[in-house]
Amino acid sequence: MIVAETLLWVLPLVPAVTALLMLTTRDRRILSAIDVGGSAVLLALTLVLAREVATGGPRALGILRVDDLGLVFLLLLVVLTLAVSIYTVGWLKQALAVGNMKSELVRSYFALVHVFVATMVVTILADNLGVLWIAMEGTTITSAVLIGYHGHRHGLEAAWKYIIVTTIGISFGLFGTVLIYAAAAATGLHGGAGALSWSAIMKIAPRLDPGIVRIGFIFVMVGYGTKAGLAPMHLWLPDAHSQAPTPVSALLSGVLIKCALLGIIRFQTIAAAACGPAFPAGVLLVFGLISVVVATPFILVQHDLKRLLGYSSVEHVGIVALGLGFGGRIGTYGALLHAVNHGITKALMFFAAGKAIARYGTRDMRVIRGLLGVAPIGGTLLMIGALSLAGVPPFSIFVSELMVLRAGIGQGHWVAIAIFLAMAVIIFAGLLRHAGSMAFGEPTAAATREPESWSPLLGMMLLAGIMILLGLTIPATLDGLLQRATEIAR
Amino acid sequence: MSADTVHTIIDDLGALLLFAMILIVAAAQIYRAIYAVAAQSLLIAIAGGVLATATGNVDLWVIAGITLAIKAIVLPWVLHWVVRRMNVRREVEPVIPIAATLALAVAIVVMSFQLSASLGPVRQAITGNALPVGIALTLTGVLVMATRKTALTQMVGLFASENGIFFTAMAVTQGMPLIIEIGVILDVILAALVMTIMVLRVRSTVDADIADLDRLRG
Repeated sequence: MIVAETLLWVLPLVPAVTALLMLTTRDRRILSAIDVGGSAVLLALTLVLAREVATGGPRALGILRVDDLGLVFLLLLVVLTLAVSIYTVGWLKQALAVGNMKSELVRSYFALVHVFVATMVVTILADNLGVLWIAMEGTTITSAVLIGYHGHRHGLEAAWKYIIVTTIGISFGLFGTVLIYAAAAATGLHGGAGALSWSAIMKIAPRLDPGIVRIGFIFVMVGYGTKAGLAPMHLWLPDAHSQAPTPVSALLSGVLIKCALLGIIRFQTIAAAACGPAFPAGVLLVFGLISVVVATPFILVQHDLKRLLGYSSVEHVGIVALGLGFGGRIGTYGALLHAVNHGITKALMFFAAGKAIARYGTRDMRVIRGLLGVAPIGGTLLMIGALSLAGVPPFSIFVSELMVLRAGIGQGHWVAIAIFLAMAVIIFAGLLRHAGSMAFGEPTAAATREPESWSPLLGMMLLAGIMILLGLTIPATLDGLLQRATEIAR
Repeated sequence: MSADTVHTIIDDLGALLLFAMILIVAAAQIYRAIYAVAAQSLLIAIAGGVLATATGNVDLWVIAGITLAIKAIVLPWVLHWVVRRMNVRREVEPVIPIAATLALAVAIVVMSFQLSASLGPVRQAITGNALPVGIALTLTGVLVMATRKTALTQMVGLFASENGIFFTAMAVTQGMPLIIEIGVILDVILAALVMTIMVLRVRSTVDADIADLDRLRG
């Protein structure tokens, strides 16, 4: 069937065309309509592609390829993109009203968001490791502009830090890619751009020289790990994710860091085949543990709501890395599920936080009080999002954290498990204290009591619905997809 | 050219590249760092030409040409223009003394050669000492970025770092695929463009240098 192959190339074009359409109008309503429409088309086409792959297996056309592993991340991306588009309708209206966004900049904002989405689609679909890198740097460039979009001093500082740190980080990734390519070339893999193809390298991976693959993997781990926000390369993350406009924060924390994780998984499979699974697993464990440990104190003492969410992303990326490091069927499955769960939950949290910040006119959590009183629905969503982030059952993150934990126990990584559990408990307490003090109590006088607007609520409820569903049960189709993806990744 | 001659030339160019890197690390004035990084790019273009002649790989000529045009001429010129346009009063502003950075740079070079000496068979896939030189350039570039406060010096460090990657990539037996190299260079240009705009924007909207932006912590 040719449908799937064509779709491979159509998918990145959808957001690109949407971006071009944006440039034809200045009307906010029409722009929002194109925004939601483009995201909906992207979601629909991805579902078609997912069905094709489920029945006919992985497809490739040229430098792009889709398999079940990529699909997991692609689905996360398109669902979040749609939620972001819906949320943006109301968010933008409010941002324009308070002067947070200039009306003449609106259409280039929309266009940039869709170009950003297009680059992320390419990172997920790239089979060629060189294309993966190019698209990954493309995400940096587009999102850096978006982070500084408000033009505040803090936004510009965060954007600069982001572009410098991640560009230098990702150049390590390129070096690692060159080294893996050199190893592949040494085995006599020919065919121009084909020698950088992940699927071609995987076929000869057991024959690669372990020495150079080891060094290459460490370079890649530092490089893509920087983009993924793994500590100690995470320094840009709390700044960038907290200073970006809220919809962009949701995309950065929800999807972009997961795209970098997918890159790491691709290289992990190569390294595991070339020098045994123990080596890449060990590296992932170390980075994962450092991330969880480093994030904890910052979560506890944080006063800035969006920074809190940024540090929480560092923690959760660390948990995904731990899952990949523990490995095995359960560990990898848990890690992939956790990437999805965290993406959905964190986007929901950024949405809810954005609304709360707009309502109180501050991001200081000591000032935000009694949210449930002034915004019952938004407050409730913030509360359940925080509960899920903290790992409370029956929400989704609890399920995947438990799987990661079980994998660790199964493999006998007692030290790592002890550290992970201790940090999880501390973060649990910290997050609940923060969330509780925001939700309950007497509302501050500064808080506006205007009714909640429908579009942000709709976007949040979409995500909250998925979050609750995944906590209660994993639908059979998703389970099948994750099972097949686990087979590829482990 | 015989294989030995190519090895010798690449090794000589590698030595010159490291020397230029030391100049960048030691530069107390932004202009000198820009000239040194331009010289580095020129050396890499020459290396591309040599490898193209030796291997008969036409792609390498294209890459050498692009490197010469973009990285040796256009980007340094842009940096130079920004320095003049912004009327930069502040020079390099090291976070730690330059002598200390130099010592670290030397340590990086030694370590890189140690590291790649431990790799037996792969060295056949990469001409001469391009691997250790590439690793050393990349890491030293990061060192420059980490130890300098001003935006333009950080950009110079970034370009130097990328030079190291290009040098190694060229020396891999078959060379990197042309389309990938072009994509990478395109990314470098775009990144440089966005960074330049940011530098100018910070100056015009908040009337500050990037080096003054240090409010986000904790």
